[in-house]
Amino acid sequence: MDSELIQQIRYQARDLLESGTVKGVIGYERASDGLTARPFFAYEPAAVERLIFDETCSHNLARYLVDKKNEKMAVVVKPCDSRAINLLLNEEQIKRDMVFVIGVTCPGVVETSWNHKDEELQARCKTCQLVEPPVYDFLANGEAVERPQGEPYLDVQQMETKPITERKAFWSEQFDRCIRCYACRQVCPGCYCPECFVEQLNPLWVGIRIAPKENELWQIMRAFHLAGRCIGCDECERVCPVDIPLSLLNRKLEKEVKELFDFQAGLNPEEQPPLATFKKEEKLGFEE
Amino acid sequence: MNSEYQPKIIGFLCNWCSYAGADMAGTSRMRYEPNIRIIRVPCSGRVDPILLLKCFQQGVDGVLVSGCHPGDCHYNEGNYHARRKFALLRDLLDYLGIGKERLRIEWCSASEGQRFVDKVSNFTKEIAELGPRSGS
Amino acid sequence: MNLFISRDELIRWLDQLLRERILAAPVQVQGLTLFQPISKVEEVTLDFGNTTLSPKEWFLPPTETLFSMQGNDGHPQLVPSTIEKDAVIFGLRPCDAKGIALMDGPFLREPGDALYQERRARTSLIGLSCRQVQPECFCTSVGSAPNDSSHVDILLTEIENGYIVQVITEKGKALLPEGLTESKEELPAPPELQAVPTKEVTQAVREFFDNPYWEQLADRCLHCNICAYVCPTCYCFDVRDYPNKGNPERVRSWDSCQSTGFTRIAGGYDPRAAKGARLRQRFSHKLLYFPEEFQDIACVGCGRCVKSCPVNIDIREVMSDLQQLEAKSGS
Repeated sequence: MDSELIQQIRYQARDLLESGTVKGVIGYERASDGLTARPFFAYEPAAVERLIFDETCSHNLARYLVDKKNEKMAVVVKPCDSRAINLLLNEEQIKRDMVFVIGVTCPGVVETSWNHKDEELQARCKTCQLVEPPVYDFLANGEAVERPQGEPYLDVQQMETKPITERKAFWSEQFDRCIRCYACRQVCPGCYCPECFVEQLNPLWVGIRIAPKENELWQIMRAFHLAGRCIGCDECERVCPVDIPLSLLNRKLEKEVKELFDFQAGLNPEEQPPLATFKKEEKLGFEE
Repeated sequence: MNSEYQPKIIGFLCNWCSYAGADMAGTSRMRYEPNIRIIRVPCSGRVDPILLLKCFQQGVDGVLVSGCHPGDCHYNEGNYHARRKFALLRDLLDYLGIGKERLRIEWCSASEGQRFVDKVSNFTKEIAELGPRSGS
Repeated sequence: MNLFISRDELIRWLDQLLRERILAAPVQVQGLTLFQPISKVEEVTLDFGNTTLSPKEWFLPPTETLFSMQGNDGHPQLVPSTIEKDAVIFGLRPCDAKGIALMDGPFLREPGDALYQERRARTSLIGLSCRQVQPECFCTSVGSAPNDSSHVDILLTEIENGYIVQVITEKGKALLPEGLTESKEELPAPPELQAVPTKEVTQAVREFFDNPYWEQLADRCLHCNICAYVCPTCYCFDVRDYPNKGNPERVRSWDSCQSTGFTRIAGGYDPRAAKGARLRQRFSHKLLYFPEEFQDIACVGCGRCVKSCPVNIDIREVMSDLQQLEAKSGS
């Protein structure tokens, strides 16, 4: 644990709470296994002593900002998480003056589950290009960060080269296991619709049946709704109770959006998202 | 084409160009495969990917979306948005093993009855060869 | 008198059961362990703590058709049970067996759920006692134990060359293969577990219903359905009619009190929209309402919710917190 970093976070949090600048600070605390982290909401200055930051802090806390729109909150974010803040600003879901961003220079997070912590960094951290969050009000600077700079889409490319029958079999098998717990949707900062399309009764797109056809429709449409919006925190994959490789699915569209429209979500709150704009002349792979 | 297997094809045609084009094919007594069922929409940009996926889920084997030529959209930019959306959707369908060939995007104006007929004929034959969208 | 079955005899027995019935057993699926119907005994894994999803899905499937209407005369015909053969669930832990027994309360009391009843009657349970416990386990604090044989037809306990076989019910006796010898060994002592205080929890939930504890705890809750779906005793469901091209069917699927819109009623009003109220509901049901109705806490201490909750809402911590609230108020 980088204690210097933690002290900076606690100092800033205490200051914000004591001065009444924010209603609460959304950060991390130690989980019940004594090993990993969990989200923590500090509303009193004394509570900041519970705040931590270490390699088990995988959660994307920006997600909670949509729940707390009516109060000014501070939030502790890694570079990837802060892209979600930019996304929410861009889509006018939160107001900039209603959030105080405590950014963290992140050394990467490891694979965790309850009572279990890997030594190895998560796949997304191995290809992450960001050291500092693209948006912050205060930067908690810890030890110097050194992260491997891997190629970002190797596994997607590998999937692309497989024969189509193999791809079909693979994804069918994955979607069959889905139990429609919607944890992927609930943990995602980009999924904030008051009524999700799966809850619509009229027209009935998906319905309540938990079965392969319906699961497939759910998974594909959620991935598509995130096209050009997914900021790659991979939390959806972490929370899935049946280990569906959601990152492998979402990053395919992330790659296509990058290649076709030269766009990455969440780096700039002012930038036009690719599906909200167009170019008069563009070759997108299907016209003669 | 195997006379036993008849592909089910749905076509989303924009009211101003493609639907009128199909209409022209009809009034000119041009013949084409009857496998396609046409749904008229105001603009190709109105077509939501979820409509297309729902078609596939309901047993449709191929989906055609046809709009005005880029630059000629009745609503100025609807087809530009459609173009981007469906480029991504096709890539995604391909990646998932459903196949990009089952989703066809065309631009067909009101005077292009023959073009419409050619495109539909072509598409129907392709889908017949691909076979039913099995596993769903 | 307990019997003994060697590993080889066990394999032969399972093979025989496979031929006559559906055999659901723990199977390794891409890093998870899930109860699945098997076609070959080799698919079974017995090297697991507990399965990711509970075996409740064999009695209350994630989705099932309750009935469909055939023909135009408007008289609904009940779809027969989907079990054409009898079934055996092999390898379930005592906590999960207790979970099924708890579900019997609401599903079997008059008038009874027809499909659940039939599945229950035609399914036999071969339990596997726990020689080791996982860090998330707390069955002994909620009325079960690693070697609890109360709710299975047969209980196997692993020893060096095979398993001690306890025959609990007549149903179990009918299932056994021929020629099993008496066990020479005594049943081993069960492993020890950490105790979680539960004595006053029902009263605490009742007393602190309006306490701000729930709203605060719910701050981090994502309101997904994971806890309810992995739980052996959560049984909320939704029912919808589908037109299904002229043969309408009524479908029942898993649902969870945690999800948004669970309590939304016609007109759009949602009496339990607040996060704290929704989170409280699940604990109230398990720790207060169910015990009031069925005299038992609806939690078997399997720890799946603890393991699977993405934000570490830990029922043991909640129970402890609630009872400490009581202590502070001095009532």
